Amino acid sequence: MSRVMRFIRVLSPKAPGVFLPVVVLLVFSALLFASVPVHAGDKELRVAFIPLENPEKLISNVKPAMNFLEKEMGRKVRYFITLNYSAAVEAMISKKADVSFMSPLPYVLANKYSGVEAVLGEIYDGKPYYYSRIFVRKESGIKKLSDLKGKTIAYVDPISSSGFMYPHDIFIRTGLVNGGLEKPEGGFFRRVYFAGGDQQAINSMVGGFVDAAGVSQYALNLLRPEQRDQVVAIEQSARIPSHNVVVRKGLAPEIREKFIVAMMKMNRPQNRGLLRALYGTDGYVRVGHSRYKSVADMARKYGFLKE
Amino acid sequence: MLCSLIAPGARLALRVKNSLTMPAWLLAAGLVMTSFSPTSAHIVPPEELHPVAESYRRVSFILNLNPVLWPQVWSDLKRVEEALKRVNSPGAKKFSEGLAIARRVAQPVATGDEEPDMVVARKNGSRLAFSLVTRGVASLLISRLDGIKADSNREEVKSRLNEARRISQAFADALPHLDPEGWKRLQVHWLEANSNLGVAGVMGIGARPMTPEKIRESIAFIRRYFHSNFSGFRAGKEHRLLPRPKTSETYIESAKVPWRLPPGSDINKQLPRPRQILGMAERGASEAETFLIALGDMAFDSAEIFGEPARSLGISCNTCHNKGVTNPKFFIPGLSREKGGMDVSNSFFAGHANNGLHDPLDTPDLRGIRFTAPYGRNGRFASLREFVRNVIVNEFNGPEPDPMVMDGMIAYMNEFEFLPNPKLKKSGKLNPGKVSEAALRGEKIFDRKFPQMMGGMSCASCHIPNANFVDHKRHNIGSTGGENQPFHVGGLDTPTLLSSKFTGPYFHDGSLPTLRAVNEWFNTQFKLGLSREDIDDLTAYVEAVGDGVQGIEDTVYTLESELEEFKFFLSTYDRLKQRKKRELISVLLKTVVREVQAHKWDVQNKENLPILNEMEKKLNEALRAHLAGDVKMTDHKIAAYHTLYQKNQDKLK
Repeated sequence: MSRVMRFIRVLSPKAPGVFLPVVVLLVFSALLFASVPVHAGDKELRVAFIPLENPEKLISNVKPAMNFLEKEMGRKVRYFITLNYSAAVEAMISKKADVSFMSPLPYVLANKYSGVEAVLGEIYDGKPYYYSRIFVRKESGIKKLSDLKGKTIAYVDPISSSGFMYPHDIFIRTGLVNGGLEKPEGGFFRRVYFAGGDQQAINSMVGGFVDAAGVSQYALNLLRPEQRDQVVAIEQSARIPSHNVVVRKGLAPEIREKFIVAMMKMNRPQNRGLLRALYGTDGYVRVGHSRYKSVADMARKYGFLKE
Repeated sequence: MLCSLIAPGARLALRVKNSLTMPAWLLAAGLVMTSFSPTSAHIVPPEELHPVAESYRRVSFILNLNPVLWPQVWSDLKRVEEALKRVNSPGAKKFSEGLAIARRVAQPVATGDEEPDMVVARKNGSRLAFSLVTRGVASLLISRLDGIKADSNREEVKSRLNEARRISQAFADALPHLDPEGWKRLQVHWLEANSNLGVAGVMGIGARPMTPEKIRESIAFIRRYFHSNFSGFRAGKEHRLLPRPKTSETYIESAKVPWRLPPGSDINKQLPRPRQILGMAERGASEAETFLIALGDMAFDSAEIFGEPARSLGISCNTCHNKGVTNPKFFIPGLSREKGGMDVSNSFFAGHANNGLHDPLDTPDLRGIRFTAPYGRNGRFASLREFVRNVIVNEFNGPEPDPMVMDGMIAYMNEFEFLPNPKLKKSGKLNPGKVSEAALRGEKIFDRKFPQMMGGMSCASCHIPNANFVDHKRHNIGSTGGENQPFHVGGLDTPTLLSSKFTGPYFHDGSLPTLRAVNEWFNTQFKLGLSREDIDDLTAYVEAVGDGVQGIEDTVYTLESELEEFKFFLSTYDRLKQRKKRELISVLLKTVVREVQAHKWDVQNKENLPILNEMEKKLNEALRAHLAGDVKMTDHKIAAYHTLYQKNQDKLK
């Protein structure tokens, strides 16, 4: 049974039997699916969400935005939470999902191998891009990247854009770290950790458990005000195109356009409360795949993409 | 007819600033932005506390209070019990037995003629409940780790590991202080375990394998720590209940653990802010020439005039009486019953003034406070000055205030004006051209005498329209206490109705959410026989009386007005220096430093944050110079702050 099939069987309450070895899917299925796509109908739009810390809350939080989308598009909207990016992509390949939300690196990988396409980019503080930064504690005495030699750093996740590939690239470009992503210590760091989230990574640094954190610039907002004063960014990455909304390959052009227009209406002041649930973005702009060229280039540089 | 509520308390707020007006769309956008701030999520949403960790932290706080709010304790312990039932049946059974014992000990039933000693019961019950919940949380955490087997797949390991780590955050208030080395080792092991999970990648691309043996090593360390310290945990005789890791070699017995408010607390100021009107602004008085008012304003915003723990927690008069009004969001579990109020005679803020009762009060609006004596919900203080001193010294554990601070606070509070209300004539009667027919009908009901209400009184008997809707008396309307309470105990000061539309909930304890609910309460309590239409009319009347022009500011961007206010505070420096008030200069500088630190993150264009950091630095330098007795340097740094502010004022919005 393919991973896609496993995914679908768990999603469907009508499935004759749940494929047990994927235990975590069982756990998640009990928690996550407030509304699940059982049948692929042409009259529906199916939205796949990537899970956050509290999937149950996410599914209830997005409801007003999904209701809005349904009304604006004049089309039934079904939405569900997938296990991870792979499951979302697989759902789009098998046409069980029409649209999803992605971060830059997973997106360029998904585009390459499944043809999903970015149509909307998120806006943060009025900009459709952001940066990754290397944060350290002010009192640590670390002033520049080279001061981190022999020390420890916390990143977010091995396939995170702002939480690994971009901050790692900072050290590669400066020649401090050698080699690819497989051995991120690269003869420079004593130990590289993956903390599992921006908050865990930056908190590990603030708490003194690691010497530095390579995370999104917005991770700073997760600290208490007095903690923010205790840290400083010593370097910034190349510009990262914002997270995006993708549509599956082959989605009918009129549905795709209706979806984009409806999502763009969330930028209006009276609708912006809806955005909060959608990963906290400040709004959307139309984007095309070309906006993510720099991400694809970097993904090639680090071996995520082969050509 | 609102005989219960709003006798003034004594903590207030800022001064009036006419709010900036802005297009509606910008305001709406601002509201959205503000709802994100200060922990704007963007692409990195904040981690939420695990429900069990949340319960543990809350219960750890409440069990250290006197009195203990037992219903909340049992509710949180139930949550831990339920979580245990899902993963560890024998553990859950043991927990349930322990819970039953703790309940019996904490809340004993009188047998025969013997009255139980409730002080002993509280102390023993707290100790038992705390020991039990600490063991329970440790057991849960260990169960999650033990569930990770050799053949577990990555997602399962990740899920269990993540949950165990989140449960361990239950101890994050205390362990970093009690055992900093041990805590650090634990955190490094969590990082190690997570780092060895590998990753599934996208369609297999970027995948990394999991390294189970490394994960097992980390799990073993974490498990050992929690098992050896907390699986058999029994709270000792120490004054404060804390999860002391006594078997850890690096445990520091003498460690001081700072207080943190429990999950569910909200002491942030409300946004948009209530509109405050100061008489001096209306009169066009210069801020720089109103020394006492400026000093009082500063003290009102200052946590420095309070003692511990309020001072460290940053609680000032302005926290509860935001801009001299109220803070409808304010809530501290264990101390509050309704939002917008709390028990100020509890052991937490000032142990010496504990009255042994859980009796939270709704925070009163301070508008027009000079017209509304006596003070305190039960009107026990004839003088506002005495009342304010009581708040500082007894409710919030502060040192005896300098007489000049007291003079300043009274001067400042005496400037608080009611909202202008064109619906009322000078006589306090409704202005017929400005109100509805329903309100006019309601006015007649308000003036009607009811034989069944305290010997033939009307609503207007106490809320006298031409006397700011107060009578300066106390009345027992039956809104407090039980049947056995002596009649004289339940008397409460008559609150004014002016500006009341914006300050719900109502009654001394905040138990009634709306003005309509208040009218319905009176109708029931005194069997007034008012019909639904009568209640509609009476409510329309009371809402007209309690109305005001622009009760809420129309902007959510507050940095600009806050910085102007800090300038106002600092205008007191020269005169304090002349009067040789060294201690008050320290209070002034510490207060402004803390305020700049808190508000600088509100700057809309974050690229201007460095300017505010520099301003903060100048103030810190001024404070250091002042503490070192270097007057010249203090002058110089304060002047440098002003120069920086003046030069960049346009950017600091």
